[in-house]
Amino acid sequence: MESKRSWFAWFRFSPVGATLLVVGAVFAVLTPTFLTWNNLLNVCTSASVVAIVGLGMTLAIASGNFDLSVGSTAAFAGCITMSVVPQIGVMPAIALGIATGALVGWVNGLIVTELRVPAFIATLGMLTIVRGAALIYTRGRDIYLFGKTDYKILSTGITPALLALAIAVFFGLLLKQTRFGRHILATGSNLASARRVGVRTSYVLWSVFAIVGATAALSGLILSAQVLTGNGRLATGLELSAIAVVVLGGTPLTGGQASIPGTLFGSLLLAVINNGLNLLNVSVFYQNVTLGLLLLGALTLASGWTSRPGHVVTKDSKVRNKQTG
Amino acid sequence: MPESSVPPVLEVRNLSRRFPGVVALDDVNFDVVRGEVHALVGENGAGKSTLINILAGVLQPSEGRILIDGAPVVFSDPLGPQRCGISVIFQELSLLPHLSVAENVFVTREPRRGPFIDWETMYRNTAEILHTLNLDVEPSTPVSKLSISQQQLVEIARAFSTKARVIIMDEPTAALNEREVIRLLEIVRSLASSRVAVIYVSHRLTEVFSVADRVTVFRDGRHISTSPRNGITEQQVIAAMVGRKLAHLQRPVRTPGEVILEARELTIDNGLVRNVSFSLRRGEVLALAGLMGSGCSELMEGLFGLRKITSGTATLDGKPLQANHPRAAIRTGIGFVPEDRKTSGLFPDLAVTENLTIGALPRWLKSIPAFLDPARERLMTLEYKRQLNIRFSRPEQRVSGLSGGNQQKVILARALAENCRVLLLEEPTRGVDVGAKAEIYTLIDQLVEKGIAILLQTSELPELIRLADRCIVFVAGEPRAELSGNDVTQEEVMEVATGLSHRVSFRDQALEVSNGE
Repeated sequence: MESKRSWFAWFRFSPVGATLLVVGAVFAVLTPTFLTWNNLLNVCTSASVVAIVGLGMTLAIASGNFDLSVGSTAAFAGCITMSVVPQIGVMPAIALGIATGALVGWVNGLIVTELRVPAFIATLGMLTIVRGAALIYTRGRDIYLFGKTDYKILSTGITPALLALAIAVFFGLLLKQTRFGRHILATGSNLASARRVGVRTSYVLWSVFAIVGATAALSGLILSAQVLTGNGRLATGLELSAIAVVVLGGTPLTGGQASIPGTLFGSLLLAVINNGLNLLNVSVFYQNVTLGLLLLGALTLASGWTSRPGHVVTKDSKVRNKQTG
Repeated sequence: MPESSVPPVLEVRNLSRRFPGVVALDDVNFDVVRGEVHALVGENGAGKSTLINILAGVLQPSEGRILIDGAPVVFSDPLGPQRCGISVIFQELSLLPHLSVAENVFVTREPRRGPFIDWETMYRNTAEILHTLNLDVEPSTPVSKLSISQQQLVEIARAFSTKARVIIMDEPTAALNEREVIRLLEIVRSLASSRVAVIYVSHRLTEVFSVADRVTVFRDGRHISTSPRNGITEQQVIAAMVGRKLAHLQRPVRTPGEVILEARELTIDNGLVRNVSFSLRRGEVLALAGLMGSGCSELMEGLFGLRKITSGTATLDGKPLQANHPRAAIRTGIGFVPEDRKTSGLFPDLAVTENLTIGALPRWLKSIPAFLDPARERLMTLEYKRQLNIRFSRPEQRVSGLSGGNQQKVILARALAENCRVLLLEEPTRGVDVGAKAEIYTLIDQLVEKGIAILLQTSELPELIRLADRCIVFVAGEPRAELSGNDVTQEEVMEVATGLSHRVSFRDQALEVSNGE
């Protein structure tokens, strides 16, 4: 009885964390290789790639927007960086790549704030535009990088995990401890109110989109460093994983709230599941189905919680739901 | 006239409704007879909505009975009441905005010719009903093109077309201006004259007293009193609603200081508001009055940097007002409490603290300007909680869980935390119950006492009279008259604003369409 209750308390505290533990335990029992150092490192690396862009996406969603163009941005930044490493060296190339991502993000922000195009449409447009730009830039071919092992460091060992952690800590502080973070949440919670209390909402949104672009670029750089190849088709579908891990982590899509640890756990959960199913030789098609079910489950639970008896639901809102439904 | 010989058309006996942890309705009795307007009043949470929802078949009672014409009935879904001739007009209108007036009036009961809708009959019948309601719109107009008050009349037309014997109206005047209210009340009276029973639920006692035959008060889910209108005073009803005596509703005598905000020939947004000149003193309340669309809100928004001042000058403390963004306005000491706190005031997802301090953030900790100081924010929140008597359990609580009155106080506290010297108040007590309203008035008096200058815009005239020292009446974007001192009366203001006297003589005639007899 006692253990049951505390388990439930854990689950309530962090549903995604608790699920992660259970799923990890299951794979540890089912497969001998899951709990090996190499495998866990693998999991961490693939989780980090999604986590980094997912953390950026968390800010975007907290500000009441989201960014569908992150996969394309990752590819574009990866290609640009790969192509300039031989000329300008590793660090400047990385900086250039990240700047490229931030620039793409800033353009997203401009379209949303100045042209007043909804983020969904604006970033959907940018998704195809930037993907196209990446393919044009590479002329549809691969850019290889031979012998430049310095660049490889971005994806080896615990570098990706450290980067993800550092960004998580930074964003966590940003959201909870700074005025800018408060302004992001305010903008996401109610744009009109935010403007009225003196928040420069356009400035907030440009910055957030630029940050998302930068994180997308960093994810793209890690991906390209893994294979030492720049390719216009890199990171296809990354936007969906990024949004998925944010949602799994408990950040509501409606804006105004965010869970940074949740996004980290969400990325780990996603990576563990993919890895475990791989180890169990489950076909990739089934993996997709699993991911979808997981997302639906998370969202169902999230909406179930807000309407549980303990939660304050006004009589009126209940009634109106029934009226319309 | 109420009749006593026949059983009431609708009666509830010993009705209770419990929710987990709450008794929303506790053993109440209520009835309404044909041809009567029976007003139901009470603060938020008094159980009015629960009763309406039970009568609408949306909620089921935990105990008790509903009688129609003396015979018990059970409503298990919203169709039941409709079949018994009960029609409910909810505060949030349930119209289909993209469909036409006629389609809305006859939705689910469309006249048909074979399998097809008989448009001709539908339009003709709708036109007839609209005519009796004095609503001058084409039956084919999409509802979304109508004003809120017209939409409300469409709802009434729908109820009317179902030959409803009982019409229940929940806060029907919440979104209407004074003139529209008068028109609605006339229609309510004529519904009663055509032997419809009307249950009229409202916060606004002035309306209740001008339209109701009987007044019933609920408090905390219990029935407190039912009396004929002539047998009870407004003060008594308020006392019954809140269960205690409220501070007397009189404007204190004030002694304004020097001029702080001065406007000369202001024009906003190229003529939306024109030729506005006024001066506002410290410790003074200046009201801007006018019907909806007369430009009062727009003027406020202009002063706050939400609209462009296209010509003229405004000075604050003798310096030209920098108003290109609310941020600049707040910095110079102008606070704004917006009309609609849900859409443009609150951050529902954020904590009480975060809602309260957000406007004041730029002033704090200048040494490390970007960082927050949660401990200090918390202290500040508790300080304002004490000062303004805001009721919440923890500063970290989400603001969306607070009652309307407390939310409004949080927004007031936000403006105060910005250290504003001039406060722009729009509808400071909209959707706030009687108790909180009295508190907010007292609070405003205290602020004015401290030397804050207030520019007030409100559509509730009694509120304007209660608060304002002076009043500028706007008509169609231009100031028409300035009233001060004892000249600020409801009659004066309405006369200028509408160009006619607002005293109403109800026709009290039956509507012309036969009503299912």
